[in-house]
Amino acid sequence: MKNIFSLILVGSMLMLTSCEMPTDLNDNPNAITLQDVDANLFLNGAQLANIMIQNSHLNRITGMFSGQLVGYTSLYSNIYGYSLSTVESNDEWNGCYTGVLTNVRYVRDVVPDDKLLVGIAKVLEAHAVGTLAILMGDVPYSEVVSEVEDPAFDTQGSVLTALTSLLDGAISDLESASTRSESYDLYYGGDKDKWIAAAYTLKARYALVQSDYASALTAANSGISSSDGDMNYIPRGDAAISEGDKNLFNAILSGSRTGDIGNNGSYLLELLNDTTATYRGNAKTNETARHNYYKIDETSGEGNLGVIERYEPMPMVTYFENQLIKAEAAARTGGDGLGYLNEYRAWLSSGGRLNATFNDSTILYGAYDNADFASGGMENADGLSAVDALLREIIEERYVSGFGTYMPFNDHRRLRGDGETNLIPPFPLNTTAASEHVERIPYAQDELTSNSMMDDDPGLYAETEVNK
Amino acid sequence: MKMRYYFITAFAFASFVFPQSTVEGIVSDESGNPLVGANVTIDGTSFGVASGAGGNYMIKVPIGTMDGKTVTVTADYIGYTRASESVDIPVGGSVNQNFSLDVDAIGMKAVSVTALGFTANRDEQGSSSVSVAAADMTRSGESLIGNSLAAKASNVIVNAVAGDPGASTTIKIRGANTISGTFQPLIVVDGMPLNNSTIYGGGNNISGGNDAGTVQQSRLNDLNANDIESVEVLKGASAAALWGSRAANGVVMITTKDGQAGKMKMNYKRTMSFDEIHERIPMQTLWGQGQNGTYNNGKAESWGDYIPDRAGGADAVESTGAHFTSEDESFTQYALNTKNSKDTYVDSNWEQVFQTGKYVQDDFQITGGDAAKTFLFSYSSLRQSGIIRESSYDRDNFRLNTKFRLSDMISMSSKASYTFTNSNRIQQSSNVTGVMLGLLRNAPDFDITHYKGTYVDASGVEYDGRQRAYRKYMAQSTHPTYNNPLWTINDQKADTKVDRFIMTNEMTITPDQKTNLVIRAGIDAWGDNRAWFFPMGSSGSRSSGVFAEDALTNREVNYDFIVRRSLSLGSNISLNATAGYNWWDREYSRTSFNISSFLVNTDKQTANVNTSAEASTVENSKLFIRSGRTYGLLSLAAMDNIYVNLSAVNEDHSTISESYTYPAMDVAYQFSDMLKGTPLSFGKLRFAWGQVGVRPSAHRFETLAESGFSYSSYSDPLDVALFGGGYRVDDDKGNPDLKPELKTETEFGMDLRFFDDRFALGITSYQNEVKDMLINVSKSPSTGYDTQYMNAATMENKGLELDGSYLFMNDANKGLDMYFNWAQNKNKVTDLAGTEVIYLGTGSVNSVAIVGYPVGTLHGTGSKIYAKADADNPVDSDDGINVFTDDNSLVGKFALNANGFPQITSLKRVLGDPNPDWRGTLGLNARWKNFNMNVLFEHSQGGDFSPRTQWVLRRFGTTKETENALTLSQDMINFDGDTVLAGTFVRGSIHDFGGGEVLLDETWYRHGIGGGFGDNQAYNFAVKDATFSRIKELSLSYTFSSPVFRKTTNLSSVTLRWTGRNLWAKYKELVGIDPATNQAGVANGFGLDYFTNPSTKSYLFTVLVNY
Repeated sequence: MKNIFSLILVGSMLMLTSCEMPTDLNDNPNAITLQDVDANLFLNGAQLANIMIQNSHLNRITGMFSGQLVGYTSLYSNIYGYSLSTVESNDEWNGCYTGVLTNVRYVRDVVPDDKLLVGIAKVLEAHAVGTLAILMGDVPYSEVVSEVEDPAFDTQGSVLTALTSLLDGAISDLESASTRSESYDLYYGGDKDKWIAAAYTLKARYALVQSDYASALTAANSGISSSDGDMNYIPRGDAAISEGDKNLFNAILSGSRTGDIGNNGSYLLELLNDTTATYRGNAKTNETARHNYYKIDETSGEGNLGVIERYEPMPMVTYFENQLIKAEAAARTGGDGLGYLNEYRAWLSSGGRLNATFNDSTILYGAYDNADFASGGMENADGLSAVDALLREIIEERYVSGFGTYMPFNDHRRLRGDGETNLIPPFPLNTTAASEHVERIPYAQDELTSNSMMDDDPGLYAETEVNK
Repeated sequence: MKMRYYFITAFAFASFVFPQSTVEGIVSDESGNPLVGANVTIDGTSFGVASGAGGNYMIKVPIGTMDGKTVTVTADYIGYTRASESVDIPVGGSVNQNFSLDVDAIGMKAVSVTALGFTANRDEQGSSSVSVAAADMTRSGESLIGNSLAAKASNVIVNAVAGDPGASTTIKIRGANTISGTFQPLIVVDGMPLNNSTIYGGGNNISGGNDAGTVQQSRLNDLNANDIESVEVLKGASAAALWGSRAANGVVMITTKDGQAGKMKMNYKRTMSFDEIHERIPMQTLWGQGQNGTYNNGKAESWGDYIPDRAGGADAVESTGAHFTSEDESFTQYALNTKNSKDTYVDSNWEQVFQTGKYVQDDFQITGGDAAKTFLFSYSSLRQSGIIRESSYDRDNFRLNTKFRLSDMISMSSKASYTFTNSNRIQQSSNVTGVMLGLLRNAPDFDITHYKGTYVDASGVEYDGRQRAYRKYMAQSTHPTYNNPLWTINDQKADTKVDRFIMTNEMTITPDQKTNLVIRAGIDAWGDNRAWFFPMGSSGSRSSGVFAEDALTNREVNYDFIVRRSLSLGSNISLNATAGYNWWDREYSRTSFNISSFLVNTDKQTANVNTSAEASTVENSKLFIRSGRTYGLLSLAAMDNIYVNLSAVNEDHSTISESYTYPAMDVAYQFSDMLKGTPLSFGKLRFAWGQVGVRPSAHRFETLAESGFSYSSYSDPLDVALFGGGYRVDDDKGNPDLKPELKTETEFGMDLRFFDDRFALGITSYQNEVKDMLINVSKSPSTGYDTQYMNAATMENKGLELDGSYLFMNDANKGLDMYFNWAQNKNKVTDLAGTEVIYLGTGSVNSVAIVGYPVGTLHGTGSKIYAKADADNPVDSDDGINVFTDDNSLVGKFALNANGFPQITSLKRVLGDPNPDWRGTLGLNARWKNFNMNVLFEHSQGGDFSPRTQWVLRRFGTTKETENALTLSQDMINFDGDTVLAGTFVRGSIHDFGGGEVLLDETWYRHGIGGGFGDNQAYNFAVKDATFSRIKELSLSYTFSSPVFRKTTNLSSVTLRWTGRNLWAKYKELVGIDPATNQAGVANGFGLDYFTNPSTKSYLFTVLVNY
C-alpha cells in the first residue's frame, strides 16, 4: 500500500512542477506582429480608408445636399430631408484618423529613408484630413495620433495651412525619390510623378476653398495635367468576386439598399436633360451623352452602364478638377480663364469624362469665345459682367463635372459665403420645411462622445471658418 | 508556490497496530439503498467513520478503551434524519448494527454542494446557494438542460434566446457582473468546469454575427437532464470564491447520478412534446403592395391600394412575353397589367413556414452494483423538429458512471459521457436571407407558394433555379432583395454536428478516518462542424451562392489535488482544513473556409462549385488559456451552532500579468435553541463576504498588425483582401498590464423555519461592487486608435432575494406544498473611464452600458423633449437630445415641430431599461394517492423591451397597427406638412403628441420618423414595458405502483405525465413578441428583437417505466 502512496506523491510533484505558466502563452496566435510586416503592406489599407472618405457615404450625403442626388427611401430619404445625425460621420472620421493617419504615421516612423513611401504617406494624410477639415470646419490635427488622450480641435484655417506645408514636404520627398513598381500603391503603382502632380492639385484645392485664387493657380499649374494622372478609386473588376470590389455606388444599389438613392429628379440631371427648361446645352454644347452617362438606375446595381457601372472608376483628385481650378482662378486673377475652359471642353469633346458605352456622336463641346460671355451673349442673357458670366459657366461646369466628388458642395458653400450667389447653380432645397442650404457635415459621434475638447456638434447650418 | 507543496509534505500517515473491537454494519435509506459517505460515530468519543461503498462501515475500537460498555452509535447523512442506536461493545470481535435513515422532512434540499464538489449541510453554511432538484428540472419538459433551470431559483434568470430547436440558453445570476466579459455563470459538472460557450464566428458571420445568422447552441445543453442527480447554484461571491476569476457570475454545480448498489434496476422514459409558436405579430390584410395608396409590385412596402376596392377576380396579365414558371410547372406568372384579385395570403403564407414542432425523447437507464462497485449506464435519444419547418435538432447521449472501492482506503470513480448532436438551423434576424424578415415584410397580397422556378425573358431566354419573392414576382432578377421565406427554410442549409466527450475520474484516498486526499482529472473535448449553404439566387451578397464550413474544436483539461483533514480542537470545536491545487488548460481553434460565386447552380455542398482561388477564403482563429490555482479552506464548527468558513485562492492566469488572490469568508449562527416555545423551529443568521473575478480576454497584451479588415461606411465594403491583402496597425491598442475584474460582495441572510419546519423562508440581502472592469475604452478616434482594452469601469449591484416553501400536508395519501421565490437586483454602472457608451449588441436601438444607468440600458435616437433650463443650459440651446426651456409647464413634454410632430434627437439617448424591477415565481405541488399536480407561475415586473421588428414593419405597412383607415371629419396635417382635406378616406389614425391632433399616415410611418430603419427615428415609441405573467409550467401525473400492478406487470412502477409549458402569458404592453427572446443571442445585450426567430409553448406527454 505504501508503494501506491509514494507513486501518487511522486506523480503529484511531477505534475505540479510541470504546471508552470509559460510567459508567451498569451501572445496572440492569430495575428502578425507589427515588426514582421514590411512598411509598404500598410499602404493599401490606408488608401482604401481614404477611398471611403472620398467616395462613400459622406460623399453621397453632400451630393444630396447639392442637388446632385436624391434619397428615395430608408435612411437616405431621412438624410435627404436634412435629418442627419452625427452617427453618419463615424466611419469616415474613424477611417481618417485610425485608417489613414495611424498607418501613414507608422510608415513614416519605420522607414524614414524610403522617400517614396514617406512622400505618399504625407499626401494621403493631407488628402484625408483636408477633406474632413473642408467638410466639417475645425478638426483635431496638431495633437492627433500621439499620447494625447483628448486631441485639441485646431481651426480650419490652421489645419489647411499645416496640410499645405505637409504637401510641400511630400513634394520634396517625392522629388528625391525614384519611381518603382509598388503594387500596394493602389492609386499610382509607385509612380512618383503622378503623386507629385496630385500633391499640387490638392494644394490648389486647399487654396481655392480659402478663396486664395492666386495660390490656387500657381499650384494648379504644377498639378495633374492629364486624365492619365487622375487619382481614382479603380474597382479591379474581378468577375469571380461578387462583393466588395465594385464601384461603391453600384455596391449600394446591388445589395439590400436597392432603390434607396439615385439621381432621377435631381437638379443636376435637369441641367443635362434637353427636355427641361433648366437644360444647360446651347449651340456649342450638347449634354445628351453626359446625361445618359450620369443617369443612375436606382432600381438595381446591375442595370447601370454609366457613371456607376460595376467597375467604373470613381474620381478623387483629377485632371478635371485641376483644369477647372485653373479656369476659375485665372478668370478671377485676370488670366485666361476662357482658354483653360476651352481646353477642358476640347477634352470633353474627346469623350474625356465618359466611358465607352456613352462615347457617342452626340457629344459637342465647342470652344466658347468672348462674345458668348458679353452681355446678351449666348451664356450671358441676363446681363452679368463678362467675367461673372464666364465664372458662372466655369462654376456650372465644375458643378456638373464634379459629380461624385465634394467639389459641388464645397463650391456652393464657398461662393455663397463670399456673397457670389449669382455664380452658383440654383439647385433647390430638398424640402419646403428647410429654409437654408447645409453649411457643413457633422462631426463623428464617436469623437464627440470620447473627446472632451468638443462637447457638441455645431449643427448643419454653422458656417465653417473659410466660408464665413 | 510553497503552499502547493505544503499539504503534500504535511501529509502524515499513521497506522495503528493495536488489538481492537469493531462495530460494523450497513447504512441505507428507507428502501434499502446503501448510503455512501454517511457519518457513523460513537457519541461522546472521537471514534467514527464514513460509510463506504455499499453503505458499509466499520468502527475500530482499541481493546481497553470501552470494552463491555453500552454506547450510543449515531448515523448521520445529510438530507436524512439522523438515527441513534445503543450498542454493547464486545471485548474483541465485532458487533453488527445496521441503520435505515428516513429522508429529512425538508428533503434533499438540506444538502448543498460546495464549490469543490463536496456535499455539506446547508444549515451550516453562511453563504447563499440554492439547489434545484432533478425532478423539478425534468418535469418542466424542456429538452435542453439549460432551459429547465428557468424560474427555479431567485435571481437566476434563464431564457432561451429563440424557440429554435437546440437554441442557446442565457443564464444570468444576480444581474450583470461584468460588461465585456460574459454574463454566463461557470458550469461545473462532477467537480470539473464544463465548457459552455456559444460561438457565433465563422460562417455564422456570413449574415452578421450574433444578431443575425442562425441561433447557435449552448454547449451546456449537450448534457442530458435525465443524467442529473442535483444542481446547486452558488450565487454569492463567497460561495463561489474558490473558482477565482471564473466565478463572478456565480457557479452552477451539476452532479450526475451515481450507480446504485443492489438489484439491477432499469427504467425507460419516453417524452413527446408538441410545440407551437408562442406569440405571433398581428398582420394586416386590407392594403396591397405599393406606396402612396397605389399598387406597385416592385415596391418593398405594402402602403398600396385598398384591397376591398379592387375589381376582384383574376389579375389581368400579359398572355405572352416574359414570364415565370414554377419548378413543378403548375404555376405560371406573366407580367401583371392590373391587380384585380382581392385574395390575401397572410395566414396561408404563415402556415407554409410554421408547423407544430415536436420532439420525441427516449431515455434508458440501467444501474446496479454491489458493495465494491456500482455502475450507471444511460442512453438518451432526442429527435426534434422545430416550429419553423426544416429546423431540427437531434441528440444522442451516452453515459457510463462507475465507482470502485479498491480497498478500505482507496476508491475510484469515473464518469464518462459522449454526446452527438446534429441540427439544421434556419437563418434569422437582421439578415435578408432570414426567415422572419422575408415572411413579415412580404406583402399580404403576395402568395409565397411558388418560390422557385424558371424565368423566361421577353426574348425567350430561360433562367433556371431562380428565386421568386414579392419584390420580384416573376423572378425577373438574380437579386430577390429579400428571400422568399420558403427559399430560406427549404433551400438554404446550416447544419451543425457536434461530437462531445466528457470524462472525470476521481480517486479518493482515506489513509485514516480524519484525512482524505482527492485526485481529480478530467477532460472535456468537443468538435463542432458547421456547414453553411446558400444556393445561387439567395438574397443580398449571397446571390451568387455561398458555401462555407467551420471546424471548431475545443479541449479543456482540468486537474485537482485536494487534501482534507478534520481536527478536533476540544470538545466543542471541530475544524476541517482543505488545501488544493487546480490546473486548467483550454485550447480552442476554428478553421473556416468560404466559397462564393458559384459557377454551377447546384445544391451540392462541395468545394467544386468554384475552384478558382479568388472565389474562396480561408481563415482561422485559435485561443490558448491556462490557469493554476492554489487554494485553502478552513471550516470551523463551534458549540454546534457557529460555523465559519475562511478561504483564499491564489491564481496564476495566462491572461493576466501577475497572480491574484481572492479571499472569502462566511459565518453562520444557528439560534434555534433560543426559540423553544415559539413557532420558529429553526433559525440561522448568516453573513458572507468574498471577492471573485472575471479574467481578461486572451491574447490582448500587444498592439498587432491586423489583416482581413474592410472599410465600409454604408453597405459598400472595401475589403482589403480583394486589393492584395495588406495590413494595418490594429485600431484596438494592446495593453500589457491587464488584471482581472474584481467583484467584492457582502451578503447578509437569514434562514427560518416555522411550525416544525413546515414553513421555510430564506432571506438574503447583498450588495457588491465590481471594479477594474475590462472594457474596450473608446478612445477618441483622433488619437489614432478606436479602442483600448483596459481595467477601467466600475458598477454596483444591490439585491434582495426570498426563497420559501410551505408544506400544507404530507402523509401517505396526500400532500400539498407551495413554494415561491422573489428577487430584485438593482444594477448601476458608476464609471466607464470617460467612455460615454459601450454597445453590448447591434442595431439602431441597442443595449448599452452608460454611466448612471443599469447595464443593458436601451439606447438610440428618440424624440426631443423639453428640459429645464438652468445656468449650465441656457434657454433655447439644444444639446441634441433636449430642448431647454424655462417654462415649467413644458418640461418633460415633446418638443414638437411647427406641424405638431416630434423631432428626432441628433444624438442617441437613453430609451429604457430592460432589467425587471423584480421577478418572482409561485408554485404549487399537490399529491393525492397516485396523482401529482404541479403548477408554476412566473411574473416579471417592469423593465423595457424594444420590439424593433414591429417598428420597422410600420414602414413596410404589413402589420395590423398600420391597417386602420378613416374618413377625416376635418382638415388634418400629416408628417410631411401636407394638409389632408376633410372627407378624405385615408389610411392612418389621428394622434395628439401634445400640440393638437395630427394625422399619422404613410408619411409618418413610411418615410417619417415613426417607423423604419436607421438612427434617425423616434425610437422612444419603439420601447415598451416588458411586464409579463405566465404559467411557466403545469403538469399532471399518475403513477401505477400498486402491489397488484407490480405483480401482474413485473414492473415496479409506471408514471404517466402531461405537462404544459408556457401555456399562458399576459403582457402589459407587448404584442406579438415574447420578451424572453433576444436578438443579441447569448451576449450581454438584451431587451432587443429584430426579426428574431420566435419562442415556443409546448404540450408534453411522458411515460416513465421502472423495472
